[in-house]
Amino acid sequence: MKSLFSIVASAAVVLSGGAFAGSSDTKVALVPGGPHPYFAAWEKAGQDAVKDFGLGKADYKVPAEWDLSQQNELIESLVGKGYNAVLVFPGDAVGTNKILGELDDAGIPTAALAGCVEQPTKAKMCFGTDTGHSAYLGTKQLIDAMGGKGKIAHFTGFLVDPNTTLRIKAVEKAVEESGGDVEIIQVIADIDAYEPADEKINAFMAAQGAEVDGIVTTAWVPAVVAAQALTNMGDKRIKMVGIDHDEVVLEAIKAGFVHGTMLQNPYGQGYIGSYAMDKIRGGCTFKANAPWKSTAQTDQFIDSGTVFVDVTDVDNYVDAMRGISLEILKTFEGDFLDC
Amino acid sequence: MNKKIPNFIFTNQFGLLCLVLIFIVIFSTVTDGFTSRFNIFALSRVIAIDIMIGLAMMVVILTGGLNLALGAIGVCAAMFGGWCMEVLEIPIIPSILLMLGMGSFLGWINGFITVKTGVHSFIVTLATMSIYFGFMTMLTEAEAFRRLPELFTDFGSAKLFNKYISPLLLVSVATCFVLFYVFRFTDIGRKLIAAGANPEAAELSGISVNRMFIYCHVLSGFLGALAAILLTTRIGAAIPSMAGQLGMDWLLPAFLAPVIGGTLLSGGKLSVFGTMLGAVLVTLLTNGLYLLDVGEFWIRFFLGIILLMAVLLDRTREYFTLRKVIVS
Repeated sequence: MKSLFSIVASAAVVLSGGAFAGSSDTKVALVPGGPHPYFAAWEKAGQDAVKDFGLGKADYKVPAEWDLSQQNELIESLVGKGYNAVLVFPGDAVGTNKILGELDDAGIPTAALAGCVEQPTKAKMCFGTDTGHSAYLGTKQLIDAMGGKGKIAHFTGFLVDPNTTLRIKAVEKAVEESGGDVEIIQVIADIDAYEPADEKINAFMAAQGAEVDGIVTTAWVPAVVAAQALTNMGDKRIKMVGIDHDEVVLEAIKAGFVHGTMLQNPYGQGYIGSYAMDKIRGGCTFKANAPWKSTAQTDQFIDSGTVFVDVTDVDNYVDAMRGISLEILKTFEGDFLDC
Repeated sequence: MNKKIPNFIFTNQFGLLCLVLIFIVIFSTVTDGFTSRFNIFALSRVIAIDIMIGLAMMVVILTGGLNLALGAIGVCAAMFGGWCMEVLEIPIIPSILLMLGMGSFLGWINGFITVKTGVHSFIVTLATMSIYFGFMTMLTEAEAFRRLPELFTDFGSAKLFNKYISPLLLVSVATCFVLFYVFRFTDIGRKLIAAGANPEAAELSGISVNRMFIYCHVLSGFLGALAAILLTTRIGAAIPSMAGQLGMDWLLPAFLAPVIGGTLLSGGKLSVFGTMLGAVLVTLLTNGLYLLDVGEFWIRFFLGIILLMAVLLDRTREYFTLRKVIVS
């Protein structure tokens, strides 16, 4: 998938006649909150951004643990090492603002990637999935698949992830709109790691598997574990809408154990984010009247795209995401930047 | 006077000082940006917090015990302070005093249970770590306090000495001097060391060993809260995950600094400035390895190796100390 993105993005650069040419002085650090498969696509995205936009560096650097202090320490050492632009998945929606402010004071542009920091902030933008909207759409798809009524369970990510609260609220909103025919019987959070996800999801299935009619998952690991659990149980009665593109989830969709998944665009986030940081370093500024979206945390949000795929289009899902990435890249400078 | 200089050369602290200087020279030479103003400032902030965490563990190691609940105490104190400042709108100074009081109180609970039950503090603090952290999570619902007074959070960003040094480092160094004075020149300090070195002999000479052990745990809680205050000013918010799950992310620096610094794990011997230098050495190494582009996961590996070597060194030191006592 990543190579396909790369080919198409490179083609876009060539076709644009070098309009995307960047500065070899720009050294971008892409720093997630901690180790997690979702962010793995950032590595390739950074490498492709170096190749396609002529950046000096765009390196993916992972803190050893999900810990704000460790993330801060890593960012500080990277800046000490000469990185002059930082794309970060915030370790905390407010706590991360402190270091972003300090970097801005040092003339280093930053942006929040895949998750936002709360305003007021010195981050130039928040570029990620509209997680609330994605969770809302996914839940709507699930409710349709359940025939508009029944009991659902919601499995989601880390409580320290700024997106988790948004997702919980979005699922609640979609359920409320069902007019009382759908009920959330369980929300299990803080399980975006295999050991707790495995333990809690399997315990839930053992205790309440017979009662639940649908499962919506809004984080990577819970989606994988829940898909695996349904596949192992051979249960096609319970409908499930997952998230992201792990092979386990995709295979479960093909086999009919999972109804569908909400895809996100981590590659596009890293690729276009690196491009944007280079532009900012080159003197561009964000337009005040740019088509920003608003979230609960910020009004400088750019949606990196989300799309629902089910068994009918699971084999061609790359095309859908590729289209979104190219669409954003094509109009990014015109829409958002004053150069 | 002249006789004292050669003695100092053979101390653990002198060896650490030499290692610190050697690593400074190496990293300045082979890495980009080690001596940059940004990096030195960042280093000074991390060192400040690691020194305080190391000191907090050191005072319990003095009793031959451990404080695994140190991180949990720190997080509880920080969250309590965040609640005081943000929700109750208590001014900064009284809030800081309340945070220190909370840390001391939680430390007192550890000490009280340890001396009353006779169970090793390893087990007691392993249990209280979960209790403190769980209780804090239950009360706060894991919600951070993010709107702290600017004056408080600005302290963590302030830059001194031509923007090279954080004031947090001055707080930690000042704390080292105070502790050094207490342990070297006060009656209570000497009693604390005596109780840790040989509890039976101390008891026979009229020292209440149990009380001294409780004091050590109270002091550990106090210093843990002070470390949490520094960390809160640095990140600008009181966050449940600020010391990792159950506060366990503090444990490695908490052990490394005092053990490398020459504090005996069996108790009765401590080194305040050794702990300070131990924290400096560990932070320098971590920073240098980051700059050398050693993978983040390898850094953890190296820190584990350093801890293991420090423990082996501690055993060797203990052996020679014992031999010296027997021979003399």
